Amino acid sequence: MRSTWWELLSYRDLLFNLISIELKLRYRHSVLGFLWQIINPLFYLLLLSIVFSRVIRFNIENYTIYLFAGLASWLMIQQSSVVATGSIVNNQGLIRKIYIPKLIFPVAVLTAQYIDHVILVIILFFFSLFFGLSPNGSLVLLPLIILAHYFFSLGLSLIFASAQVKVRDVQHIVAIIFQALFYATPIIYSLDFLPEKFRWLMYFNPFYYFVESLRYPVYYLAFPPAHISGPVIGLTAVSFLFGLFIFRRGEKYFVFHLS
Amino acid sequence: MISDDWAVRVNSLGIKFFLRGKDGGGLRKEEFWALREVNFEVKKGEVFGIIGSNGSGKSTLLKIIAGIYPATEGRAEVRGKIAPFIELGAAFNPELTGAENIYLAGSIYRVPKRTIREKFDQIVEFSGLRKFIHTPVKNYSSGMFIRLAFSIIIFFEPDVVLIDEIFAVGDRVFQEKSMEKILSFREKGASMLIVSHDMGLIKQLCNRVAVLSRGRLAFLGRPEEAINFYLDLIKKGEGLENLGTQTFSPEQLVLNDARRWGNRQVEITRVEFVDEAGRPREVFRTGDYFEARISYINHGVDDCPVFGVAIYTIYRLLLYGPNTLENLGTQTFSSAASYSGQRDKESGKKSFFGPRSEQDKLFTEEPAPCESWGEREKDSKEIQGEFHGAARADGRPREPGFMADREGVEGIDFHRQMKLPRRGKVRFIIDSLPLLEGDYLFSASVYDSSLTIAYDHHEMMYFFRVKSPGISAFGAVRLESRWLISAD
Repeated sequence: MRSTWWELLSYRDLLFNLISIELKLRYRHSVLGFLWQIINPLFYLLLLSIVFSRVIRFNIENYTIYLFAGLASWLMIQQSSVVATGSIVNNQGLIRKIYIPKLIFPVAVLTAQYIDHVILVIILFFFSLFFGLSPNGSLVLLPLIILAHYFFSLGLSLIFASAQVKVRDVQHIVAIIFQALFYATPIIYSLDFLPEKFRWLMYFNPFYYFVESLRYPVYYLAFPPAHISGPVIGLTAVSFLFGLFIFRRGEKYFVFHLS
Repeated sequence: MISDDWAVRVNSLGIKFFLRGKDGGGLRKEEFWALREVNFEVKKGEVFGIIGSNGSGKSTLLKIIAGIYPATEGRAEVRGKIAPFIELGAAFNPELTGAENIYLAGSIYRVPKRTIREKFDQIVEFSGLRKFIHTPVKNYSSGMFIRLAFSIIIFFEPDVVLIDEIFAVGDRVFQEKSMEKILSFREKGASMLIVSHDMGLIKQLCNRVAVLSRGRLAFLGRPEEAINFYLDLIKKGEGLENLGTQTFSPEQLVLNDARRWGNRQVEITRVEFVDEAGRPREVFRTGDYFEARISYINHGVDDCPVFGVAIYTIYRLLLYGPNTLENLGTQTFSSAASYSGQRDKESGKKSFFGPRSEQDKLFTEEPAPCESWGEREKDSKEIQGEFHGAARADGRPREPGFMADREGVEGIDFHRQMKLPRRGKVRFIIDSLPLLEGDYLFSASVYDSSLTIAYDHHEMMYFFRVKSPGISAFGAVRLESRWLISAD
């Protein structure tokens, strides 16, 4: 196990290169370039915020911030995991020809995704200032919360990417499941909106805890309570370790499933 | 044997693949050991060759050593930094520029960024791509692509170099430059593993050579012995049964070799390049006498087979591809081919190859139908045309080609009548080699008289080199030409 990390460390230049390629190439020929990564979710946010605060009328205070925080948390996990699912298969040319520790690919894709999303969270922070919320000391937890998101999605990505190598349908299935989960998670609505007798279901939705955890420092303006932070820590650990286990068990044989 | 100066150590290595059932994709998967019980050590500074027919596991072995494939059993250990020449340019991202790719590839090979920065100019210089270094490599020609890839690997001074058939790419000057550079690794104590079908190269470079046959290490030893062992293996298809657990017939083994095909009713057993004195040679000079001797065994074909050869540049550009159908006994190309035979001493039957000393006694005979070959010809006398080894009667310069059997034979008719002796040699002769300096690939083949059935085709399996000291012309072939310079 230890040698794995040493090896990964010796490939850090490659990791940085892959991340920067990932960021650089995505928008090389577009005029607004990197800005799209921000414009896109902001537009989505605007749309949702208009629909659900003006048209459907949820009675949530500072709905835009509530929604923004939820959306930022959700996109962080959902978008990055979906993209990272293809990380091994998309690099099959390389994997079949040169030895590289395979962990590098999902990590690079995921990290590039997170760089985009962290920028989104920073914008979120300014939004909340703009909307008159004054963040307090709980803000120091924000980096840790993002880190938890990162390792949670890394675990998912490792599992998905391993599965994708064997069956190429995984990416589509993952996308569909996430689509359904988007509505099953209190992102655009709040927990109160659900009928009392179904509310317990939410405790089985891991995304509920992550979405809420990000809302604490920027929306609730408080430290996340134990019933949120506990599950977040637990889920992160389980996802990361399980993902790593699955990935490391299969990575030697990936090459046989790639063409 | 406990030594500690190894660079690569392969220990009872085996790798198992699962093949899908051939009939309609049945669920039952068939096990297939691509390599099994392979053991060897490559010493520091050693050049180690690996030969074997296609499908024998050479490339798989290299891929395991490179860490791309996992060993099913046993292990392969490498000391130091590996330079995999297995797939040049695999490390490139086509969207990135040459310069960006130098850094990317460097990081893939774990070269510290500082080293890359220091070597950057040398790499660019060596590749000769300074003008294009800020162009995305997707716009490169394949030659440029390879040159850049090669230059990068060359400059990070590896401890172990893995080479899988790479010398057929790039232009000649670059090839030689690269070769020199690779050889300089050896002086620095780097080890090399070379997989190649190019026996000339193997013989020239390697200290020791391993022969793989159906996943087993069939032979390990001196290059000449290994090459002979390999050629015997191909020739006979015998003795293979003991070497592996798989039950492949020799036919299948041959099918596995993409460069050789045919039903082997007439079998080409050996192709050899010789000089005027019949001494085997791999290097010729422009203008030299060049002869390719194709040894064959006729397993019972009645009609007159057609032998053919082809000479290619290393870019696989066909320079010349004559065959005996056109040339034998005709004067179209003023060229000559000879089916020659010798008396089979044990059986007392005649076959058609004479020892060289006899071959030198050239003579021209009356035209004769080919049935006569086995019956009427004099013992150990080579039958050949007027154009072989001697000036033409009309004094015109001699041109390359197969040796005609005799003058005045009505080519095609003659050919139809001819019956091939059981064993013998066909000699393709160019009296004055018009090729310029470089490496050339050589094919030899034998087909039925209608050219539809391949008996045995050896596609670019052979190799020779030409040196042109003192010739300043560029290109591959010397054309008859002259200059006239005049003042107006």
